[in-house]
Amino acid sequence: MGSIGEQIRAQVPFQRRNAASLVLLVFAMVLTLSAFAEVGLARDGRIPAGLFGYGGALAVLAFAAFFVQSKFAPYADPLLLPLAVALNGIGLAMIYRLDLDTSADKQTALVEGTVAKDAADAPSQLMWTFVGIALFVIAVLIMRDTDKTDAPLSFTPKTAQRYTYLIGLGAIILLLLPIVPGIGQQINGARVWINIGGFSVQPGEFAKLLLVVFFAGYLVNKRQAMSLIGKKIGPISLPRARDLGPIMVIWIFCLGVLFIQKDLGTALLYFGLFVSMLYIATQRVSWVVIGVGLLAVGIFIATLLPFMGHVNQRISIWQNPTPYFDGGCMLESGRVVPVNPDTEIFKRFQAQGSESPGLAACAELGGDYSDSAQLMHGLFALGQGGVLGTGLGQGEPWKIPLSFSDFIFDSMGEELGLTGLMALLLIYALIVQRGMKTAVAARDPFLKLFAGGVSFVLALQVFVIVGGVTKLIPLTGLTTPFLSQGGSSMMANWILIAILVRMSHDARKPAPQAIQDEGMTQVVSLR
Amino acid sequence: MNMDKPVRRVAIFALLLFFGLMAQVNYVQGSQAEALRTDKNNRRQYADVFNAPRGQITAGGQVLAKSDLTGKDNPKYGRTYKDGLIFSPATGFFNGGASKVEMSYNSLLGGKDKRITQQRWFDTFIGKKAEGADVELALDPQAQSLAYSRLKASTSRRAGAAVVDIETGAIVVLASFPSFNPNEVAPQTGLKGGKRLEELENQRGVIKPLIDNAMSQTFPPGSTFKTVTAAIAMEQMNLNSSSIVNTGQLVLPESNRPLPNSHDTGQCAGRATLRGAFAESCNTTFAELAMQMTIERLNQGASKFGFNKRVEIEPDLFAAESDVPVSIKDPKTGETIQTGKDGTARSGIGQENVRATPLQMAMVAQAVANDGKIMTPHLVEKVRAKDQSELYSAEPKQYSQPLSKDHADQLADMMRAVVTEGTAKNLAQFNIAGKTGTAEQGPGNPNARWFMGFAPMEKPKYAFAVVTEGTGSGGEAAGPVAGAIMQAVLRK
Repeated sequence: MGSIGEQIRAQVPFQRRNAASLVLLVFAMVLTLSAFAEVGLARDGRIPAGLFGYGGALAVLAFAAFFVQSKFAPYADPLLLPLAVALNGIGLAMIYRLDLDTSADKQTALVEGTVAKDAADAPSQLMWTFVGIALFVIAVLIMRDTDKTDAPLSFTPKTAQRYTYLIGLGAIILLLLPIVPGIGQQINGARVWINIGGFSVQPGEFAKLLLVVFFAGYLVNKRQAMSLIGKKIGPISLPRARDLGPIMVIWIFCLGVLFIQKDLGTALLYFGLFVSMLYIATQRVSWVVIGVGLLAVGIFIATLLPFMGHVNQRISIWQNPTPYFDGGCMLESGRVVPVNPDTEIFKRFQAQGSESPGLAACAELGGDYSDSAQLMHGLFALGQGGVLGTGLGQGEPWKIPLSFSDFIFDSMGEELGLTGLMALLLIYALIVQRGMKTAVAARDPFLKLFAGGVSFVLALQVFVIVGGVTKLIPLTGLTTPFLSQGGSSMMANWILIAILVRMSHDARKPAPQAIQDEGMTQVVSLR
Repeated sequence: MNMDKPVRRVAIFALLLFFGLMAQVNYVQGSQAEALRTDKNNRRQYADVFNAPRGQITAGGQVLAKSDLTGKDNPKYGRTYKDGLIFSPATGFFNGGASKVEMSYNSLLGGKDKRITQQRWFDTFIGKKAEGADVELALDPQAQSLAYSRLKASTSRRAGAAVVDIETGAIVVLASFPSFNPNEVAPQTGLKGGKRLEELENQRGVIKPLIDNAMSQTFPPGSTFKTVTAAIAMEQMNLNSSSIVNTGQLVLPESNRPLPNSHDTGQCAGRATLRGAFAESCNTTFAELAMQMTIERLNQGASKFGFNKRVEIEPDLFAAESDVPVSIKDPKTGETIQTGKDGTARSGIGQENVRATPLQMAMVAQAVANDGKIMTPHLVEKVRAKDQSELYSAEPKQYSQPLSKDHADQLADMMRAVVTEGTAKNLAQFNIAGKTGTAEQGPGNPNARWFMGFAPMEKPKYAFAVVTEGTGSGGEAAGPVAGAIMQAVLRK
């Protein structure tokens, strides 16, 4: 009896499932176009102009991608492309919908000379969708099957294995770029951006993919040693000290992210990714225990350090956001005092002309300022949506701060309701499971780790951001894959899908057959 | 070494993460949705109120407040009040914020109440907004209109009137002058209405149109408070209407100055029955009774009538607190000043720091006319959903019994004597019994002129109190107003 992978391969009939993929893709487009139509019908009582522009453009792009996939990766998993298109299309419709409201607000703000809030921007999101799908097409086109790895000038997912450490270095550089003065940019309090030629790029989104490659390459080499050698103490077998080295490096690195960028979510994302890949590679639960233990110690230390009050507050807000609404101040005793605009102390500092009266008020009280208004407005939107939602175009999701980026999932929740959110979560879960299936079906250990890693990092990212905006875990800002407005996330995620498509084609295509019906004797050409 | 097994385990773990998210989304949008929608920090609920029609407020078959489409996006629905000046003491206003019945029954009027949403759960499920319920008041619209115009004509400053059904506690008249028109601040008036409301709220001086003079404003009750003093004395000192009491001169013990009577002839010449002293309103009798009882017992006795706390008329809707204070805080220095012997004497005749709303005095009259029992006053009779199903119906509830049936009957007889042989003989034509009161409000201020009592004289059905500010006495100024109102109330 072979491994599970072999069993699956034995049962997969090596069919091309392009027809199924096409039907699903048409369904995804119907979904998107209906979403656009509903926005217009609900808001203005007519089919919106955006239906033809945005919906049409997305349809053309999606079918171009399908054509390339069916031509160059015909055995690819039929679900991945339609699922990604469905998410991208619904996201685009929501951003179009938010654009109609927030841009009007911005116009009035500019006319009145008040502070203009960030607005959703549907045209640029369509452009980034175009770039993302173009990258998908290019990636599917240039990536060759892995059995061509040794051919000259061919680029396959496995090629990356040769440059493991170079790629690891690349990932670190990308992650450090935002801290470099000059190109690094701080937007909305998070220093995760760099500015290239007028465009803001989040290098972290790409670093995520490079890290998966690096971990996969490193672990494939070391996994035998790491899983077999070690001292056994009780039920747990401890690894050798020298094998502990890399996990310590990653741990310190993640704590660095936590301490310098003060970003619990990103630290959680990288460390969770590493621990899960370590587990896949070594099959040893002890590594998971050590990893989770180390992370817990790290977070515990962070909550004790005075300059890391930020982490404490995130946790405190998560436990009970109400006192922090519109401004709360945690005193040293751990008690939270409101410093919102209704309070006397706020009004006093406002009367003195203080630029941020809440912060000043909290400073006088000698506590740490924090604000749960974002999270609460998101939750209010979810409450407004209820089971079936208000319907696209009929709610007020623009009332949530960052309704089109970090909180787009709550915007969806308001207008599509619980039903819509369950559908979105199922789409994500399906993408992840198809990716995991690709990993199981893959023939090469490096590719297994690679596919498993990218699938899991997608799952973890969705968990951290969606869990954050629904108050399942403390909130940290990450992009919601395919939904959030933003180019970097769009490009990186389409590349991720392209890699999975190529690898699934690779795993599902028939193995090369020995030629048997050429007569009794095989003639071997010598030329 | 094969990696399929750990990949499958990680895949299952990833699924568990998604299950966690799904469970949380179900928790938030399923079971928490209602709580989030009504969270006090959630401003959506206030903006949302203009997007659905609000229920009507009716009284006696007349629609007092209704919602109409404005033809605009925001607010989608406006609010129109019929004769706003007359009915606003009961209906209140609505402009997102609200007062009076509009405030107290906000969730039912706005269709957000559980009694509606649970009944129409399927509508809620498919996202159809539940329609607001209609609220029916106990008010008698004709009597209320008459009361407003008579109050307006009678006063130089402020005036208020309250009439309650003695058996049920239903408020059938709640009129005030000056008043305000809630149409001026209704949603469709937009920013202009908001400014107007702010202007009304920030009115300086005595006249505050937003605070009605029937249940939300207190006045010194003057001699009408002698009803309370007499009732407490009968309960605590075992007096009855024929007990002989001193009606002659009284020198106040602390200041050594005499407390004057309005006249020193007739019953007030020296000694008389309690009935006689009450009918002719001899100050000295009741001042002396109050001093004998002490301020503490006067205060406790008055509490049983509803004094010294806010009386809840409807959910979250309270009448202003009527007081018989044992001590007061000096508003300037913050010192506590005890009510001394002289103060106690003056408290017994409804002066010093005793204050009462017309509604409170109507409740006192109700106790007298209703065998000693006060029923909790209420404004709303019924609430009906749009499909006419009844969501709420007022049940008569006893508020307290401050005096025995026997004493109440004697006191009722004493109040009849006021009209037949006492200070209000001018009201003989009206078939009402009661007690007059004229309270001085300090130099430069008009008198608070009162008449409180019950009607008809025999087998009473309604208790009332009227106050109107101006020169002259209660019997002459407030009495005829009360008489006219009660004629309107009893005409059917």
